Amino acid sequence: MGKVIAVSGKGGVGKTILAALLIRKLIKTGHRSILAIDADPDSNLPDMLGVSVGRSLGDIREELLAKQSQFPPEYSKDVWLESKVLEIMAETPSFDVLVMGRPEGPGCYCAVNHMLRSIIDFLTRSYDYTVIDAEAGLEHLSRRTTQGVDDMIVVTDPSLHGFNTAERIKNLAKELGMEFKHLYLVVNRVSCEKLISEKVGSIEVEFAGVIPEDVNVAEYNLVGKSLLELPEDSPAVKAVDEITEKIRLI
Amino acid sequence: MEIPVEIGVVYEGERIRKGEMHVELGGPKVKAKGELVRARKMDEIKDGKIEVKGPDLSEMEEGSRHSFGIFVEVAGKQVEEDLEAVIERRIHDYCNYVEGFMHLNQRYDIWCRLSKKSYGKGFNTLRYLGDALITLFKAELPIIEKIQVTFITDEKRVEDFVRNARKIYEARDARARALSEEDVKEFYGCVLCQSFAPTHVCVITPDRISLCGSINWFDGRAAARVDPKGPNFAIPKGELIDETNGEYSGVNEVVRERSLGENERFYLHSMFSSPHTSCGCFESIAFYIPEVAGIGIVHRDYSGDTVMGVPFSTLATQTGGGKQIEGFLGMAIEYMRSPKFLQADGGWNRIVWLPKSVKERVKDAVPGELYDKIATEDDATDIVALKEFLREKGHPVVERWVEAPPEAIEAPELEVMPAGAAGGIKIILKNAKIHAEKVIIKRVK
Repeated sequence: MGKVIAVSGKGGVGKTILAALLIRKLIKTGHRSILAIDADPDSNLPDMLGVSVGRSLGDIREELLAKQSQFPPEYSKDVWLESKVLEIMAETPSFDVLVMGRPEGPGCYCAVNHMLRSIIDFLTRSYDYTVIDAEAGLEHLSRRTTQGVDDMIVVTDPSLHGFNTAERIKNLAKELGMEFKHLYLVVNRVSCEKLISEKVGSIEVEFAGVIPEDVNVAEYNLVGKSLLELPEDSPAVKAVDEITEKIRLI
Repeated sequence: MEIPVEIGVVYEGERIRKGEMHVELGGPKVKAKGELVRARKMDEIKDGKIEVKGPDLSEMEEGSRHSFGIFVEVAGKQVEEDLEAVIERRIHDYCNYVEGFMHLNQRYDIWCRLSKKSYGKGFNTLRYLGDALITLFKAELPIIEKIQVTFITDEKRVEDFVRNARKIYEARDARARALSEEDVKEFYGCVLCQSFAPTHVCVITPDRISLCGSINWFDGRAAARVDPKGPNFAIPKGELIDETNGEYSGVNEVVRERSLGENERFYLHSMFSSPHTSCGCFESIAFYIPEVAGIGIVHRDYSGDTVMGVPFSTLATQTGGGKQIEGFLGMAIEYMRSPKFLQADGGWNRIVWLPKSVKERVKDAVPGELYDKIATEDDATDIVALKEFLREKGHPVVERWVEAPPEAIEAPELEVMPAGAAGGIKIILKNAKIHAEKVIIKRVK
């Protein structure tokens, strides 16, 4: 059974960048069985990985609700759903991408989410690594539509608001009864490391490192280039090398 | 023949990634694909026979896609046509037990992949898959005495196979749709929504799909078989206590237990006295309109006000939460197609109002002579207009209207013997306040 890592943080702190760079690191070290899950409707993990995903899990959930009454009586919905989950995933030689997509509408999702839980659980078991780009509200994690996370990495920018969000995610996870093997903190867009270390000490999480401002990342994002193609000596890439070592990713 | 890969439950759910795949059989990008099980007479098939019609795995190029058909024929003293669907479902499970073989979906939608790794180990003919299927079917379903398997990979032949299979699926579906509560020994319960409504339990019968419209009797049966202690479980129906209301001793027992003693009995086909409870996420609500002695229906997607002057959301708060509220019932839209649809309350003869879009959707289920007599938002948006509409169209509920005495009757319990098609039933209105312009008592012909 593979390792499941979730990267979480409020919008705009660069958690998607970290998720993409972790995947980059895994690919560069020869891993060929990676699942990337985009579980934040406001983020764009597929873009940063240079793939396009047509439909989301939310779309097929709605498709099931709309179509189920037309299914033949003995046509199995969970078996249909499992096939659809695989159908909407983008497949590349070294990693696959699943987008969770839009939030639930007003209908009944009890049955469909129940089916999805076991499908996603089985799915992550087939990969050596699953990297989840999770929204700050941990929506999919709390509904358990994304399963058992081993390590949670909370990303923050070097602002008071950012640290408060990190603290809140930590408490939220505790409230939701999620047990992680490790809960890490990564601070992004750091220009002065010294100031950070003091603030980091005040939060009860394992500090995994900082990611400095990286003009390459900004440029790649601006032109829509995949972060997987970043050069090895790019500051953010080098920082993530250190982070992966610290969190013993590989 | 010795199968060169392992077989076991541990391989179930194993995903063959595109990069790891040797070939793809069927799937969304291939037109012709399908699987079918047929029950045969003992002398019609040859036990253990495996055939491959079209190119075999060793003749397929790496990374290629092919049409695919799996045809399993079984025989045995106890093997009957009725079991075909149940046996067919197992093809999915057993194929997935094979290391490096992935099987997704069902019927005319199957999607299989073989891994490079397993191909490399020597899994180069579908005969191995056939052998695995035969071994597993015989080991796990001892009623199967003889079995033969045919794989088809030639596009034309798969097309012919699927065309024929579709006819068999259709016949099977027609039989399944005709299944009723009388034909089965077990119903199924669902408590998936208990996190929202802790005392609610859904009772699913062949005549009554779950309130959310997601779980029919067959889904319940399949889920309860896989995980009998899970959120879907079997309910032995027990004694039939009241046919019209749809009351069963087995259902009452489970309702008592699962509602933590909150509820004692369920009428499966009435919204009065002891109605089925509602969770929070039903597709539609049936609501009693005392002013016209009829029933209105509104569904979740209808955003306007109902004829009661309030929208779905207001009625939903009244209906949900796992409490038995007389005159309010959460239900699936498909329940309107049930032959037992609110049969104790008069069924379609009692329905007076529903949104146009739902009326259109269930058109085939509405008795023809009633269709134009049921109002939609185009015909009435308040009770006065509804009353006028029903009177003008001669809706059957009009015969229930009774003349009002100078002042409203206030009775703690009032029995009304209904006229019309639903003869022989009793409707009890508890704590009812009735205003009526006149009493009409008619002999039913």
